[in-house]
Amino acid sequence: MIDQSKIGQSFPAFSFEVTRGKIHELALAIGDLNPIYHSKEAAQAAGFPDVPLFPTSPTTFSFWADTGGGRRMADLGIDMSRALHGEEQYEYLAPIYAGDTVTGVTTLVEGKTRQGSNGAPMDILTTETRYTNQNGQPVLNVRRMAVVI
Amino acid sequence: MTTEIQAKTKFYYDDVQVGDAIPALVKPPVTLNQLVRYSGASGDFNPLHTDPEMGKRMGTGGIIAHGMFVMGCVGQFMSDYAGPGGLRKFGVRFKSMTHLGEVLTCSGTILEKYEAEGEGRVAGEVKVADEKGDVKVVGSFVAALPRRG
Repeated sequence: MIDQSKIGQSFPAFSFEVTRGKIHELALAIGDLNPIYHSKEAAQAAGFPDVPLFPTSPTTFSFWADTGGGRRMADLGIDMSRALHGEEQYEYLAPIYAGDTVTGVTTLVEGKTRQGSNGAPMDILTTETRYTNQNGQPVLNVRRMAVVI
Repeated sequence: MTTEIQAKTKFYYDDVQVGDAIPALVKPPVTLNQLVRYSGASGDFNPLHTDPEMGKRMGTGGIIAHGMFVMGCVGQFMSDYAGPGGLRKFGVRFKSMTHLGEVLTCSGTILEKYEAEGEGRVAGEVKVADEKGDVKVVGSFVAALPRRG
């Protein structure tokens, strides 16, 4: 059961330095061998200033940099070890390249309790993380929905 | 990196028509090695994705892939179509679990074509299904495509 007074609450900002190595590793694990994600030279030959973000690279920002996220959810009475990922949405507002530093602020934007198919209650939580770059420019919004069973 | 450079078809805004299918991407069977790599790359070390015992205990029918790994495959599919840096919006809903050995196919359709912020953009829907037709992920996107000339 979600404490409705917590809806709208924002968490402390976290920062992540976007590196070529991390973009390379993610694309490689997925199996995308497009050289633009693996080499600065290939990226520059294609007209980019440096290696651009892989489409799902934002997942690395929160897992690697927002390490207190799970504990803060626990403080709100939400057990993230019982969470299933429901939805993930990206809005890319401006390009992000290796060498940039992004800073994210996450807000709990929605929380509802529903009855699951087995009759047990489940919480449906939506967070939104807004990222700016090192120049203070908004670059990315991430909306994430999780179902806590 | 010295992998083979895949020849990518380039799609132009001028040529795309509403209703066009995006060339499907068929991924090789999902392997444990790949999920271990993905865990390290993404920072999601939930043992459900790498530990067979945990998979049995949680009743998931063995190891399951990270939902975000499957979204990453769609990321590759979208990047092949629109080029790195081409996406403006990208979102998915997770529908069912992906197990080792399954062959994921990403497919999609263009639903809209319009000009915005000085760019030629297309919007569409995407889907990932395994070889039995079980749908893993459905989603939507907006991408900017290059113009001819």
